[in-house]
Amino acid sequence: MEGPSRTRSLETSRVLVHDEEPRDELMSRPMARTRIRVLLRAGALLALVLVATACGMVPSEPHTKEAKEVFWLYNVVLVMGAIVFVGVEGFILYSVVRYRRRDDRLPTQIHGNNLVEVIWTLIPTVIVLVLFVLSTLTLNSISKAAAHPGVSIDVEGKQWSWVFHYLDDDNDPTNDVIVQGTARSGGVMVLPVGEPIHLRLISNDVIHSFFVPAFLVKRDLVPLPEAKKPNELEFTVTEKGTYAGQCAEFCGDLHAQMTFSVQAMSRADFDKWMEATRSGESPPPPSVGADAPVLKLGAANVAFDTKDLEVAAGQPFKIEFTNDDAVEHNVGIYNKDDKELFKGEAVTGPGKTVTYLVNALEAGEYTFVCDFHPGPAMTGTLTVK
Amino acid sequence: MTVQVPTGMSADITTKTEVSHREAGMPTPLVGMLLFIASEVMFFGGLFASYFNARAVHIGEWAPPAGAPELEILPIALPITIILVVSSFTMQFGVWAIRRGDQRAMRNWTLITLILGVTFLIGQIYDYTQLGFGISDGAFGTVFYTLTGFHGAHVFGGAVGLTILAARAGQGQFSKQNHVAVEAISFYWHFVDVVWIALFSTLYFLR
Amino acid sequence: MATTVLTPTSEGYRRSWVMEWLTTVDHKKIGILYIVNSFAFFFAAGILALLVRSELAVPGLQFLDERTYNQAFTMHGTIMIFLFVVPVLSGFANYIVPLQLGAPDMAFPRINALSFWFLPLGGLLIFSGYLFGGAAAEGWTLYTPLSSGSYSTGVGTDLWLIGLLLVGTASILGSVNFIATIFKMRAPGMSLFRMPILVWTVLVTATLILLATPVLAAGMIALFIDRNYGGSFFDPNTGGNPILWQHLFWFFGHPEVYIVILPAMGVVSEILPVFTRRPLFGYRAFVFATIAIGLLSFSVWAHHMFTTGQVFLPFFSFMTALIAIPTGVKMFNWLATLWRGSIVFATPMLFALGFLSMFLIGGISGVMLSAPPVDFHLQDTYFVVAHLHYVFFGGSVFGVFAATYYWFPKMTGRRLNERLGKVHFWMHFVGFNLAFFPMHILGIQGMPRRISDYSPDAGWTVLNLVSTVGAFLIAASVLPFLVNVVATFINGEKVGDDPWEGNTLEWATSSPPPPYNFDKLPPIRSERPVFDLRHRHDAEHVEVAKVEDQ
Repeated sequence: MEGPSRTRSLETSRVLVHDEEPRDELMSRPMARTRIRVLLRAGALLALVLVATACGMVPSEPHTKEAKEVFWLYNVVLVMGAIVFVGVEGFILYSVVRYRRRDDRLPTQIHGNNLVEVIWTLIPTVIVLVLFVLSTLTLNSISKAAAHPGVSIDVEGKQWSWVFHYLDDDNDPTNDVIVQGTARSGGVMVLPVGEPIHLRLISNDVIHSFFVPAFLVKRDLVPLPEAKKPNELEFTVTEKGTYAGQCAEFCGDLHAQMTFSVQAMSRADFDKWMEATRSGESPPPPSVGADAPVLKLGAANVAFDTKDLEVAAGQPFKIEFTNDDAVEHNVGIYNKDDKELFKGEAVTGPGKTVTYLVNALEAGEYTFVCDFHPGPAMTGTLTVK
Repeated sequence: MTVQVPTGMSADITTKTEVSHREAGMPTPLVGMLLFIASEVMFFGGLFASYFNARAVHIGEWAPPAGAPELEILPIALPITIILVVSSFTMQFGVWAIRRGDQRAMRNWTLITLILGVTFLIGQIYDYTQLGFGISDGAFGTVFYTLTGFHGAHVFGGAVGLTILAARAGQGQFSKQNHVAVEAISFYWHFVDVVWIALFSTLYFLR
Repeated sequence: MATTVLTPTSEGYRRSWVMEWLTTVDHKKIGILYIVNSFAFFFAAGILALLVRSELAVPGLQFLDERTYNQAFTMHGTIMIFLFVVPVLSGFANYIVPLQLGAPDMAFPRINALSFWFLPLGGLLIFSGYLFGGAAAEGWTLYTPLSSGSYSTGVGTDLWLIGLLLVGTASILGSVNFIATIFKMRAPGMSLFRMPILVWTVLVTATLILLATPVLAAGMIALFIDRNYGGSFFDPNTGGNPILWQHLFWFFGHPEVYIVILPAMGVVSEILPVFTRRPLFGYRAFVFATIAIGLLSFSVWAHHMFTTGQVFLPFFSFMTALIAIPTGVKMFNWLATLWRGSIVFATPMLFALGFLSMFLIGGISGVMLSAPPVDFHLQDTYFVVAHLHYVFFGGSVFGVFAATYYWFPKMTGRRLNERLGKVHFWMHFVGFNLAFFPMHILGIQGMPRRISDYSPDAGWTVLNLVSTVGAFLIAASVLPFLVNVVATFINGEKVGDDPWEGNTLEWATSSPPPPYNFDKLPPIRSERPVFDLRHRHDAEHVEVAKVEDQ
């Protein structure tokens, strides 16, 4: 079988004899001296950047009793990490400068050292164990359940809003305070400072997570099977203020809009708020005549059936809203500055119709939207002429 | 002097360079089969984990789901278990036969094993029709059908392997020195049997 | 006495270039196929990342709607992990491991080819969701119930599941191949403790793939059954448990991250000795540390689930803390290799040094997360995004580029241009840190992950903008790399068998090697047979070699 003759002779041994081959230029060239200056400048810059970022590497002031303990642990862990980083990175930078190739000599060939291996196995073991102990102590401390919580709230998360249901002892659900958030305007959880707050975290759709960065904590809302109890979270707010909160477990299309806030105030103010909310002073309904114009609007598959509505200016009107979905929708009306002018009550279908009575509007363009699903499919324009 | 061919030849030939050495230890294809079986163990492990997790979180009726008749080991489940266990023995008789160089006996034992395996599958399918619940009848139904279904698929794969072995033995391709495929398929068949024993114990006895 | 070989270009085996590459079972060609295919997916997933970063640069939704954004980050993560970083390292291993073992090919060459071809097929299936109503959009972790049929309609998720089942099967078959090859096809003289360290890391990686991937397969099949056959694995309304998915996923998912990092650590452990002219310090300790990491990786999975309230925190926190120890041992062994070395800063070495520094940061942030109280704050925030990119990108991808520059001459006979390589490295290094370091701070300040938009009042705008600039710098750094590759193919510097003065057997044959790999092997008396051969007249070294020969 004759193929084209091979260019390499088979008799030549292919084993390389390195000292007879020309030395590779790249591998023998010593490093130029000016590069040290470049490296030192880079090192100084790096140090500067590190210091600058150190300011951002610590959470802002924590505002619950538990968060303050976590804050302490965090700082310990951060400092430990920083020390390790500076030590190891410093060693690397030193070595690459100090041991750059200067000549062709072979450096000492050290293959290992058992003592050194033992030392640098034991030291990290000790460090890691210390970290574990501190972490476990902190965990136990922040997980202690109070015997008498000041407020108990059932937190329900659903795509994509929060509901805060304040529990009281009177076994009468009809007078319970329920804060209904929407994806557009997150609910506000009003709390008293200085008292343990007990939350039960409930979901009936997908997994969400209750996260308040100022409290240095989050806990998931998991739709669990019947046999399992829902997650519980306890904390005691230490300073009055308003704290932002947001869902922290990806839960679908409008996950980014599933916000809420926590407002902590004195116990006296909290009680006033509870009373006011419970007795529920709602504004009087508009007086709408029988011959008032009726706008028809439907919702199906999480979308309005029309994106354009028109009505005459200066007179109250009705919106006949039919919901064909098994999830709740409503109709909210906002002006150009995003101010809420009307908020219809929620209705859950399928096949449920509600008639909203809306006060007169001035001429102009308004937005109508479903507050629970304020995406493009459920946003439209209301033109008032 | 050794001839090498660039494509597709087994590793055995190509490692024989001037320093000739007989391949020591377990033949490479058997090593491969054992490793593959290890991965299959983990696959069934994941499914078993799902079973025990579902069982741990259930309330009310577990096995069988509410509304379905009691899970009986007779007249189907226990007999097909016995059939599958016997088939492992017949498979091993086949292996011993070829180790003695008796290709005809090996072929016969392989065919018997194949028949027993197919009987198992038919019995399993018949059992499905008698159970009274389906894959969409709650957690137990889902895990039951998934576990037994994938096991059945593995039995089917083994049956394909046995068919190939029988055909190759019919062509005279095996000998006392050269029959690693028989050993490998026999490992696989025993594995499939062991999984069934675990399944049967869990689904029908432990519940 | 050389072996006689049928000339590869003889009549019987001549075939067209296309048929050759489509039907090859040669591990070297298959390795190159893996690498090229993986880089194609790298660029695709990189574009998805640029989409994400462009949208997040300033508050407000400028280019994408929420659902498109959610598909983008889901597909970015999926493609990067399953279709880029694991296969590309697998490709390098495929090419290099048989050479380093002195073997003529892998144990099962045809299964090797099959494993490769499942990859583009699986990848296309996963991507095809875009053509059928939308790709998967539940995050690469696909948590239930969000990923169940009730909340994720459309076939995108199903295509993702099927595609990934194919990719997973390919991985498992590949791991069988690697383990069998390593145990059965080493050249005479190569005992287990004379194997190159890359081979050890590939061995442990393959074992992890073998044992962990099937559990993911079980979970994905279960989800497919839930979605399409009315199953109840994960549906709490019919007796299922959504948390079961997380257990199955992370039982695989955590070994997966070691599958991603260990081969890159092996690459770095090959490069450091060559470019410092020192042996890897503590070879045996390194091997035991690698095995320890492999074992421990199966015991930490629930540290991804600390905030679910459904797992036993102290156990998983403890095991996670423990796994830092063998990782630290490795880091110290690398440092000791540098110590008193004779270092030259060729591009492979730059990327290896970059790996050390970036992986250090990623490792430290990981240890921070191992403490549950700290994790309660940082889980599901951009701190985790920073951590994972420092280990995946700063670690593995730096390792991938180090491997590329290091073995490109062996694979092609030409060396990549050093100057362009340095430009690539520095742009890449600066861009990477600019993109991902600010994310630590964003997470600490409370920015959750997987959000398409954020409030202008949150105070996160500046850092997001900085991060986006960094992302584009990384994208730009690809240009000098591509120009380098193309120009080198056309007219690059030709090299011989051993341009780097390497240590291991791949440098004992031509560049590129003949199809059968070796005509003759040097004697194998240590983990550095080519080094030993080069220095066989050096009395000092001979002494050391003798001591080692036990």
